[in-house]
Amino acid sequence: MKYSWFESEVCSKRHTVFFALISLLFLASSLVAQTSNDERPIPILTGNAGYFTNVDRGQTELAPEITPVLLVPMGDHWLVEARAAFEGEFERENGNGPYKGVVGKDIDYLQIDYIVNPYVTVTAGRFLTPFGIYNERLYPIWIRELHEVPLIFPLGTGSSDGAMLRGGFTINPKANLNYAAYFSTNSSVNKFESDRLAGGRVGFFFPGPRIEVGGSFQKELQEDRTNAFGFHFAWQPMRVPLNLRSEYARSHDGSGYWVEGAYRFNQVSFWRPAMRRTEFVARMQQFFLGEETDSSELSEYGLPHGNVRQPDFGLNFYVRDGLKASASYGRWLGTRNWNVWTMGIAYRFALPLGPTGAR
Amino acid sequence: MKSKFMLLAGILMLTAAAIAADPPKSSNSTADPATISTTTASAERTSEAENIRAEGEKRFRANCSRCHAAPHKFPPRMMATIVRHMRVRATITDADMRYILAYMTQ
Repeated sequence: MKYSWFESEVCSKRHTVFFALISLLFLASSLVAQTSNDERPIPILTGNAGYFTNVDRGQTELAPEITPVLLVPMGDHWLVEARAAFEGEFERENGNGPYKGVVGKDIDYLQIDYIVNPYVTVTAGRFLTPFGIYNERLYPIWIRELHEVPLIFPLGTGSSDGAMLRGGFTINPKANLNYAAYFSTNSSVNKFESDRLAGGRVGFFFPGPRIEVGGSFQKELQEDRTNAFGFHFAWQPMRVPLNLRSEYARSHDGSGYWVEGAYRFNQVSFWRPAMRRTEFVARMQQFFLGEETDSSELSEYGLPHGNVRQPDFGLNFYVRDGLKASASYGRWLGTRNWNVWTMGIAYRFALPLGPTGAR
Repeated sequence: MKSKFMLLAGILMLTAAAIAADPPKSSNSTADPATISTTTASAERTSEAENIRAEGEKRFRANCSRCHAAPHKFPPRMMATIVRHMRVRATITDADMRYILAYMTQ
Protein backbone atom coordinates (compact mmCIF):
# COMPACT_ATOMS: atom_id res chain seq x y z
CA MET A 1 0.00 0.00 0.00
CA LYS A 2 1.36 3.35 -1.01
CA TYR A 3 1.10 6.35 1.26
CA SER A 4 -0.08 9.59 -0.24
CA TRP A 5 1.91 12.77 0.33
CA PHE A 6 -0.65 13.90 2.92
CA GLU A 7 -0.45 10.64 4.87
CA SER A 8 3.31 10.70 4.94
CA GLU A 9 3.23 14.29 6.25
CA VAL A 10 0.81 13.26 9.01
CA CYS A 11 3.06 10.34 9.93
CA SER A 12 6.09 12.63 10.05
CA LYS A 13 4.25 15.04 12.29
CA ARG A 14 3.22 12.15 14.57
CA HIS A 15 6.84 11.09 14.79
CA THR A 16 7.84 14.63 15.62
CA VAL A 17 5.22 14.93 18.37
CA PHE A 18 6.17 11.53 19.74
CA PHE A 19 9.88 12.28 19.91
CA ALA A 20 9.25 15.77 21.24
CA LEU A 21 7.11 14.33 24.06
CA ILE A 22 9.75 11.72 24.88
CA SER A 23 12.40 14.45 24.93
CA LEU A 24 10.32 16.71 27.13
CA LEU A 25 9.64 13.87 29.57
CA PHE A 26 13.35 13.11 29.66
CA LEU A 27 14.13 16.79 30.16
CA ALA A 28 11.50 17.13 32.89
CA SER A 29 12.79 14.07 34.72
CA SER A 30 16.30 15.44 34.51
CA LEU A 31 15.14 18.72 36.03
CA VAL A 32 13.20 16.99 38.79
CA ALA A 33 16.35 15.07 39.58
CA GLN A 34 18.08 18.38 40.21
CA THR A 35 15.43 19.88 42.43
CA SER A 36 16.39 18.21 45.66
CA ASN A 37 17.72 21.49 47.03
CA ASP A 38 15.26 24.01 48.48
CA GLU A 39 16.87 26.81 46.52
CA ARG A 40 16.41 25.35 43.06
CA PRO A 41 14.42 27.78 40.92
CA ILE A 42 10.97 26.75 39.75
CA PRO A 43 8.89 27.97 36.81
CA ILE A 44 6.71 30.94 37.71
CA LEU A 45 3.98 32.94 36.05
CA THR A 46 4.30 36.60 36.86
CA GLY A 47 3.42 39.88 35.21
CA ASN A 48 1.06 42.76 35.75
CA ALA A 49 -2.51 43.80 35.19
CA GLY A 50 -3.90 47.30 35.23
CA TYR A 51 -6.78 49.53 34.36
CA PHE A 52 -6.21 53.14 33.40
CA THR A 53 -8.38 55.98 32.24
CA ASN A 54 -6.55 58.47 30.03
CA VAL A 55 -7.83 61.85 28.89
CA ASP A 56 -5.81 63.18 25.97
CA ARG A 57 -6.89 66.24 23.97
CA GLY A 58 -10.30 66.04 25.69
CA GLN A 59 -10.87 62.48 24.49
CA THR A 60 -11.37 59.84 27.20
CA GLU A 61 -9.78 56.46 26.65
CA LEU A 62 -10.20 53.33 28.77
CA ALA A 63 -7.05 51.26 28.78
CA PRO A 64 -7.14 47.89 30.53
CA GLU A 65 -4.09 45.70 30.11
CA ILE A 66 -2.64 42.42 31.22
CA THR A 67 0.94 41.42 30.63
CA PRO A 68 1.78 37.85 31.67
CA VAL A 69 5.43 36.84 32.00
CA LEU A 70 6.43 33.18 32.02
CA LEU A 71 9.80 32.27 33.50
CA VAL A 72 11.07 28.71 33.12
CA PRO A 73 14.52 28.06 34.61
CA MET A 74 16.32 24.91 33.54
CA GLY A 75 19.30 23.55 35.40
CA ASP A 76 21.82 26.03 36.75
CA HIS A 77 22.42 28.06 33.61
CA TRP A 78 19.28 28.25 31.48
CA LEU A 79 16.22 30.45 31.56
CA VAL A 80 13.34 30.66 29.13
CA GLU A 81 11.46 33.97 29.37
CA ALA A 82 8.34 35.09 27.58
CA ARG A 83 6.15 38.17 27.90
CA ALA A 84 2.91 38.80 26.07
CA ALA A 85 0.97 42.05 26.17
CA PHE A 86 -2.77 42.48 25.84
CA GLU A 87 -3.51 46.18 25.80
CA GLY A 88 -7.00 47.55 25.24
CA GLU A 89 -7.79 51.01 23.89
CA PHE A 90 -11.47 51.90 24.07
CA GLU A 91 -12.91 55.27 23.11
CA ARG A 92 -16.31 56.75 22.36
CA GLU A 93 -16.88 57.62 18.73
CA ASN A 94 -17.35 61.39 18.41
CA GLY A 95 -17.36 61.70 22.19
CA ASN A 96 -20.61 59.86 22.86
CA GLY A 97 -22.18 56.42 22.64
CA PRO A 98 -20.60 53.19 23.81
CA TYR A 99 -16.87 52.72 24.18
CA LYS A 100 -15.37 50.81 21.26
CA GLY A 101 -11.87 49.81 20.42
CA VAL A 102 -9.36 47.07 19.97
CA VAL A 103 -7.17 44.92 22.15
CA GLY A 104 -3.60 44.90 20.91
CA LYS A 105 -1.86 41.53 21.29
CA ASP A 106 1.90 41.43 21.18
CA ILE A 107 4.74 39.15 22.09
CA ASP A 108 7.30 41.44 23.69
CA TYR A 109 9.89 38.76 24.20
CA LEU A 110 10.28 35.02 23.86
CA GLN A 111 13.89 34.22 24.55
CA ILE A 112 16.22 31.63 25.93
CA ASP A 113 19.14 32.72 28.08
CA TYR A 114 22.26 30.73 28.78
CA ILE A 115 24.39 32.06 31.63
CA VAL A 116 27.83 31.07 30.40
CA ASN A 117 29.83 32.48 33.30
CA PRO A 118 29.70 35.52 35.63
CA TYR A 119 30.59 37.78 32.71
CA VAL A 120 28.55 36.56 29.76
CA THR A 121 24.95 35.55 29.15
CA VAL A 122 23.90 34.46 25.66
CA THR A 123 20.35 35.25 24.63
CA ALA A 124 18.57 34.02 21.52
CA GLY A 125 15.04 34.51 20.23
CA ARG A 126 12.87 37.59 20.46
CA PHE A 127 14.10 40.07 23.05
CA LEU A 128 13.57 43.67 24.12
CA THR A 129 15.98 45.86 22.20
CA PRO A 130 18.58 47.08 24.71
CA PHE A 131 18.58 50.78 23.90
CA GLY A 132 18.54 53.07 26.93
CA ILE A 133 17.03 51.86 30.19
CA TYR A 134 13.28 52.45 29.82
CA ASN A 135 12.44 49.61 27.45
CA GLU A 136 14.06 46.82 29.41
CA ARG A 137 13.76 48.00 32.99
CA LEU A 138 11.09 50.64 33.48
CA TYR A 139 8.31 49.76 31.01
CA PRO A 140 6.04 47.46 33.11
CA ILE A 141 3.13 49.49 34.49
CA TRP A 142 3.78 48.44 38.09
CA ILE A 143 7.33 49.82 37.79
CA ARG A 144 6.99 53.01 35.74
CA GLU A 145 6.50 56.13 37.83
CA LEU A 146 4.23 57.85 35.30
CA HIS A 147 1.77 55.89 33.21
CA GLU A 148 2.56 57.79 30.01
CA VAL A 149 5.74 56.53 28.37
CA PRO A 150 8.29 59.22 27.41
CA LEU A 151 7.89 60.88 24.01
CA ILE A 152 11.24 59.52 22.83
CA PHE A 153 10.45 55.97 23.95
CA PRO A 154 9.94 54.63 20.39
CA LEU A 155 13.41 55.78 19.30
CA GLY A 156 15.66 52.73 19.07
CA THR A 157 13.48 50.49 21.25
CA GLY A 158 10.87 47.79 20.65
CA SER A 159 11.62 44.10 20.17
CA SER A 160 14.27 42.36 18.08
CA ASP A 161 14.62 38.83 16.73
CA GLY A 162 18.15 37.53 16.87
CA ALA A 163 20.93 36.95 19.34
CA MET A 164 22.54 38.95 22.08
CA LEU A 165 25.49 38.82 24.45
CA ARG A 166 25.06 40.63 27.76
CA GLY A 167 26.33 40.72 31.29
CA GLY A 168 27.38 42.73 34.28
CA PHE A 169 30.46 42.42 36.42
CA THR A 170 32.52 44.26 38.99
CA ILE A 171 35.48 46.25 37.67
CA ASN A 172 36.59 47.28 41.14
CA PRO A 173 34.80 47.76 44.50
CA LYS A 174 33.62 51.19 43.35
CA ALA A 175 32.31 50.42 39.88
CA ASN A 176 30.35 47.80 37.96
CA LEU A 177 30.15 47.52 34.21
CA ASN A 178 27.15 46.20 32.31
CA TYR A 179 26.83 45.67 28.59
CA ALA A 180 24.63 44.24 25.85
CA ALA A 181 25.56 43.64 22.20
CA TYR A 182 23.03 42.27 19.74
CA PHE A 183 22.15 41.47 16.17
CA SER A 184 18.58 41.41 14.96
CA THR A 185 17.22 40.07 11.71
CA ASN A 186 14.47 41.50 9.53
CA SER A 187 11.16 39.75 10.12
CA SER A 188 7.62 40.37 8.96
CA VAL A 189 6.16 37.31 10.69
CA ASN A 190 2.97 38.23 12.52
CA LYS A 191 3.73 39.12 16.20
CA PHE A 192 7.45 38.66 15.55
CA GLU A 193 8.12 41.74 13.44
CA SER A 194 11.60 43.18 13.74
CA ASP A 195 14.16 45.21 11.83
CA ARG A 196 17.63 44.20 10.74
CA LEU A 197 19.81 45.90 13.33
CA ALA A 198 23.06 45.68 15.19
CA GLY A 199 23.82 47.60 18.32
CA GLY A 200 24.80 47.68 21.91
CA ARG A 201 24.67 49.41 25.24
CA VAL A 202 27.31 49.98 27.88
CA GLY A 203 26.65 51.22 31.39
CA PHE A 204 28.70 51.97 34.47
CA PHE A 205 27.16 51.70 37.91
CA PHE A 206 28.85 53.20 40.95
CA PRO A 207 27.36 51.49 44.03
CA GLY A 208 28.76 54.04 46.51
CA PRO A 209 26.92 57.14 45.30
CA ARG A 210 24.37 54.90 43.48
CA ILE A 211 24.88 56.55 40.13
CA GLU A 212 24.50 54.86 36.76
CA VAL A 213 25.60 56.33 33.45
CA GLY A 214 25.65 54.71 30.07
CA GLY A 215 25.25 54.95 26.34
CA SER A 216 23.54 53.03 23.53
CA PHE A 217 24.25 52.69 19.84
CA GLN A 218 22.22 51.15 17.04
CA LYS A 219 22.91 50.67 13.34
CA GLU A 220 20.05 49.92 11.00
CA LEU A 221 21.15 47.31 8.44
CA GLN A 222 18.31 47.86 5.99
CA GLU A 223 16.58 50.64 4.05
CA ASP A 224 18.30 53.94 4.93
CA ARG A 225 21.01 52.26 7.08
CA THR A 226 20.70 55.02 9.66
CA ASN A 227 22.31 55.26 13.08
CA ALA A 228 20.77 55.96 16.47
CA PHE A 229 22.44 56.68 19.75
CA GLY A 230 21.46 57.59 23.27
CA PHE A 231 22.63 58.21 26.81
CA HIS A 232 21.10 57.40 30.17
CA PHE A 233 21.65 58.54 33.72
CA ALA A 234 20.18 57.41 37.03
CA TRP A 235 20.89 58.52 40.59
CA GLN A 236 19.49 57.50 43.94
CA PRO A 237 20.89 59.78 46.63
CA MET A 238 21.73 57.95 49.86
CA ARG A 239 20.12 60.39 52.28
CA VAL A 240 16.95 61.32 50.42
CA PRO A 241 14.25 58.91 49.13
CA LEU A 242 14.58 60.37 45.66
CA ASN A 243 14.94 58.54 42.36
CA LEU A 244 16.33 60.58 39.47
CA ARG A 245 16.44 59.20 35.94
CA SER A 246 17.08 60.64 32.54
CA GLU A 247 17.54 59.57 28.94
CA TYR A 248 18.58 61.22 25.71
CA ALA A 249 18.07 59.59 22.30
CA ARG A 250 18.72 60.61 18.73
CA SER A 251 17.84 58.89 15.47
CA HIS A 252 16.92 60.04 11.94
CA ASP A 253 13.26 60.25 13.09
CA GLY A 254 14.07 62.81 15.76
CA SER A 255 15.72 63.38 19.07
CA GLY A 256 14.82 64.33 22.59
CA TYR A 257 15.23 63.77 26.29
CA TRP A 258 13.32 63.17 29.48
CA VAL A 259 14.29 63.94 33.06
CA GLU A 260 12.24 62.43 35.87
CA GLY A 261 12.36 62.68 39.64
CA ALA A 262 10.30 60.56 42.06
CA TYR A 263 10.20 61.48 45.74
CA ARG A 264 8.81 59.06 48.32
CA PHE A 265 7.44 60.83 51.42
CA ASN A 266 9.24 58.46 53.81
CA GLN A 267 10.79 61.23 55.87
CA VAL A 268 7.66 63.33 56.36
CA SER A 269 6.74 63.47 60.03
CA PHE A 270 2.95 63.77 59.72
CA TRP A 271 0.41 61.17 58.49
CA ARG A 272 3.27 58.71 58.40
CA PRO A 273 1.28 55.52 57.57
CA ALA A 274 -0.14 57.17 54.44
CA MET A 275 2.77 59.40 53.51
CA ARG A 276 5.36 56.62 53.46
CA ARG A 277 3.27 54.92 50.78
CA THR A 278 2.96 58.06 48.71
CA GLU A 279 5.29 59.22 45.95
CA PHE A 280 5.37 62.44 44.00
CA VAL A 281 6.74 62.37 40.46
CA ALA A 282 7.72 65.16 38.09
CA ARG A 283 9.01 64.77 34.55
CA MET A 284 10.12 67.18 31.87
CA GLN A 285 10.61 66.01 28.32
CA GLN A 286 11.12 67.34 24.82
CA PHE A 287 11.00 65.84 21.36
CA PHE A 288 12.57 67.41 18.27
CA LEU A 289 11.42 66.23 14.87
CA GLY A 290 14.08 64.88 12.51
CA GLU A 291 14.86 66.85 9.36
CA GLU A 292 14.08 64.11 6.83
CA THR A 293 11.33 62.33 8.68
CA ASP A 294 8.54 60.48 6.91
CA SER A 295 5.19 61.19 8.60
CA SER A 296 3.93 57.63 7.98
CA GLU A 297 6.97 56.35 9.85
CA LEU A 298 6.21 58.72 12.74
CA SER A 299 2.67 57.33 12.96
CA GLU A 300 3.93 53.76 12.74
CA TYR A 301 6.26 54.23 15.69
CA GLY A 302 3.93 56.48 17.70
CA LEU A 303 6.17 59.55 17.56
CA PRO A 304 4.90 63.16 17.63
CA HIS A 305 4.55 64.88 14.24
CA GLY A 306 6.26 68.04 15.40
CA ASN A 307 8.41 69.53 18.12
CA VAL A 308 6.84 68.98 21.52
CA ARG A 309 7.53 69.81 25.15
CA GLN A 310 5.61 68.09 27.93
CA PRO A 311 5.86 68.58 31.69
CA ASP A 312 4.13 65.86 33.75
CA PHE A 313 3.31 65.59 37.44
CA GLY A 314 1.98 62.53 39.19
CA LEU A 315 1.15 60.87 42.47
CA ASN A 316 1.56 57.17 43.23
CA PHE A 317 0.07 55.47 46.26
CA TYR A 318 1.43 52.01 47.06
CA VAL A 319 -1.58 50.28 48.61
CA ARG A 320 0.38 47.14 49.36
CA ASP A 321 3.12 45.08 47.78
CA GLY A 322 2.53 44.97 44.05
CA LEU A 323 -0.61 47.13 44.08
CA LYS A 324 -0.31 50.78 43.11
CA ALA A 325 -2.82 53.55 42.44
CA SER A 326 -1.63 56.35 40.15
CA ALA A 327 -2.79 59.69 38.85
CA SER A 328 -0.96 62.20 36.70
CA TYR A 329 -1.37 65.44 34.83
CA GLY A 330 0.67 66.63 31.88
CA ARG A 331 0.56 69.49 29.43
CA TRP A 332 1.34 68.83 25.76
CA LEU A 333 3.02 71.93 24.35
CA GLY A 334 3.36 71.69 20.58
CA THR A 335 1.83 73.54 17.67
CA ARG A 336 -1.34 73.21 19.72
CA ASN A 337 -1.55 72.73 23.49
CA TRP A 338 -3.72 70.38 25.50
CA ASN A 339 -3.96 68.52 28.81
CA VAL A 340 -3.08 64.87 29.39
CA TRP A 341 -4.66 63.16 32.40
CA THR A 342 -4.20 59.58 33.55
CA MET A 343 -5.66 57.70 36.50
CA GLY A 344 -5.69 54.01 37.33
CA ILE A 345 -4.34 51.04 39.20
CA ALA A 346 -1.57 48.55 38.46
CA TYR A 347 -1.06 45.18 40.05
CA ARG A 348 1.92 42.86 39.88
CA PHE A 349 1.30 39.14 40.38
CA ALA A 350 3.60 36.16 40.78
CA LEU A 351 2.37 32.57 40.87
CA PRO A 352 4.58 29.52 41.41
CA LEU A 353 4.24 26.67 38.96
CA GLY A 354 5.84 24.12 41.25
CA PRO A 355 6.70 23.43 44.90
CA THR A 356 8.03 26.63 46.43
CA GLY A 357 10.21 25.21 49.20
CA ALA A 358 10.19 26.08 52.86
CA ARG A 359 10.39 29.66 53.98
CA MET B 1 12.61 14.05 6.26
CA LYS B 2 12.23 11.36 8.92
CA SER B 3 15.95 11.35 9.62
CA LYS B 4 15.81 15.08 10.29
CA PHE B 5 13.15 14.53 12.94
CA MET B 6 15.21 11.75 14.46
CA LEU B 7 18.20 14.08 14.54
CA LEU B 8 16.14 16.83 16.19
CA ALA B 9 14.83 14.43 18.81
CA GLY B 10 18.37 13.19 19.41
CA ILE B 11 19.64 16.73 19.96
CA LEU B 12 16.82 17.40 22.42
CA MET B 13 17.65 14.22 24.34
CA LEU B 14 21.33 15.07 24.42
CA THR B 15 20.50 18.53 25.76
CA ALA B 16 18.36 16.97 28.47
CA ALA B 17 21.15 14.53 29.31
CA ALA B 18 23.69 17.36 29.52
CA ILE B 19 21.47 19.26 31.94
CA ALA B 20 20.82 16.12 33.97
CA ALA B 21 24.55 15.48 34.20
CA ASP B 22 25.09 18.86 35.86
CA PRO B 23 25.00 17.79 39.52
CA PRO B 24 23.22 19.92 42.15
CA LYS B 25 25.54 21.68 44.52
CA SER B 26 25.69 20.67 48.14
CA SER B 27 24.27 23.37 50.38
CA ASN B 28 27.09 23.10 52.89
CA SER B 29 30.06 22.64 50.62
CA THR B 30 30.91 26.30 50.16
CA ALA B 31 30.51 29.47 52.13
CA ASP B 32 28.98 31.59 49.39
CA PRO B 33 25.89 33.60 50.36
CA ALA B 34 23.54 31.61 48.18
CA THR B 35 24.23 28.42 50.07
CA ILE B 36 24.47 30.00 53.49
CA SER B 37 20.92 31.30 53.15
CA THR B 38 19.57 27.75 53.41
CA THR B 39 21.27 26.99 56.67
CA THR B 40 20.53 30.34 58.27
CA ALA B 41 16.82 29.94 57.60
CA SER B 42 16.56 27.31 60.30
CA ALA B 43 19.71 27.82 62.34
CA GLU B 44 20.67 30.49 64.81
CA ARG B 45 21.85 33.65 63.13
CA THR B 46 25.60 33.86 63.20
CA SER B 47 27.50 37.08 62.82
CA GLU B 48 28.65 35.93 59.38
CA ALA B 49 25.07 35.35 58.27
CA GLU B 50 24.13 38.73 59.67
CA ASN B 51 26.91 40.36 57.68
CA ILE B 52 25.71 38.63 54.53
CA ARG B 53 22.16 39.76 55.22
CA ALA B 54 23.30 43.35 55.72
CA GLU B 55 25.40 43.25 52.57
CA GLY B 56 22.48 41.69 50.69
CA GLU B 57 20.15 44.46 51.81
CA LYS B 58 22.69 47.07 50.78
CA ARG B 59 23.07 45.51 47.34
CA PHE B 60 19.31 45.13 47.00
CA ARG B 61 18.86 48.84 47.64
CA ALA B 62 21.65 49.73 45.26
CA ASN B 63 20.52 47.48 42.40
CA CYS B 64 16.82 46.60 42.62
CA SER B 65 15.54 49.84 44.16
CA ARG B 66 16.90 51.79 41.22
CA CYS B 67 13.87 50.61 39.25
CA HIS B 68 11.16 49.47 41.63
CA ALA B 69 9.97 49.43 45.22
CA ALA B 70 10.98 46.52 47.40
CA PRO B 71 8.63 43.55 46.96
CA HIS B 72 7.73 41.31 49.85
CA LYS B 73 9.86 38.23 50.13
CA PHE B 74 8.75 35.31 48.02
CA PRO B 75 9.44 31.65 48.90
CA PRO B 76 13.07 30.65 48.22
CA ARG B 77 12.53 28.72 45.00
CA MET B 78 10.40 31.50 43.50
CA MET B 79 12.98 34.03 44.57
CA ALA B 80 15.72 32.01 42.88
CA THR B 81 13.82 32.26 39.58
CA ILE B 82 13.09 35.97 39.99
CA VAL B 83 16.70 36.77 40.81
CA ARG B 84 17.91 34.82 37.77
CA HIS B 85 15.42 36.71 35.61
CA MET B 86 16.62 40.03 37.02
CA ARG B 87 20.23 39.04 36.60
CA VAL B 88 19.60 38.78 32.86
CA ARG B 89 17.12 41.68 32.58
CA ALA B 90 18.99 44.21 34.71
CA THR B 91 22.50 42.83 34.13
CA ILE B 92 23.10 42.41 37.85
CA THR B 93 26.53 41.00 38.66
CA ASP B 94 26.94 37.41 39.82
CA ALA B 95 28.12 38.49 43.29
CA ASP B 96 25.24 40.96 43.70
CA MET B 97 22.77 38.28 42.65
CA ARG B 98 24.05 35.86 45.30
CA TYR B 99 23.92 38.43 48.10
CA ILE B 100 20.47 39.63 47.05
CA LEU B 101 19.18 36.06 46.92
CA ALA B 102 20.57 35.42 50.41
CA TYR B 103 18.90 38.58 51.72
CA MET B 104 15.57 37.95 50.02
CA THR B 105 15.28 34.35 51.21
CA GLN B 106 15.97 35.01 54.89
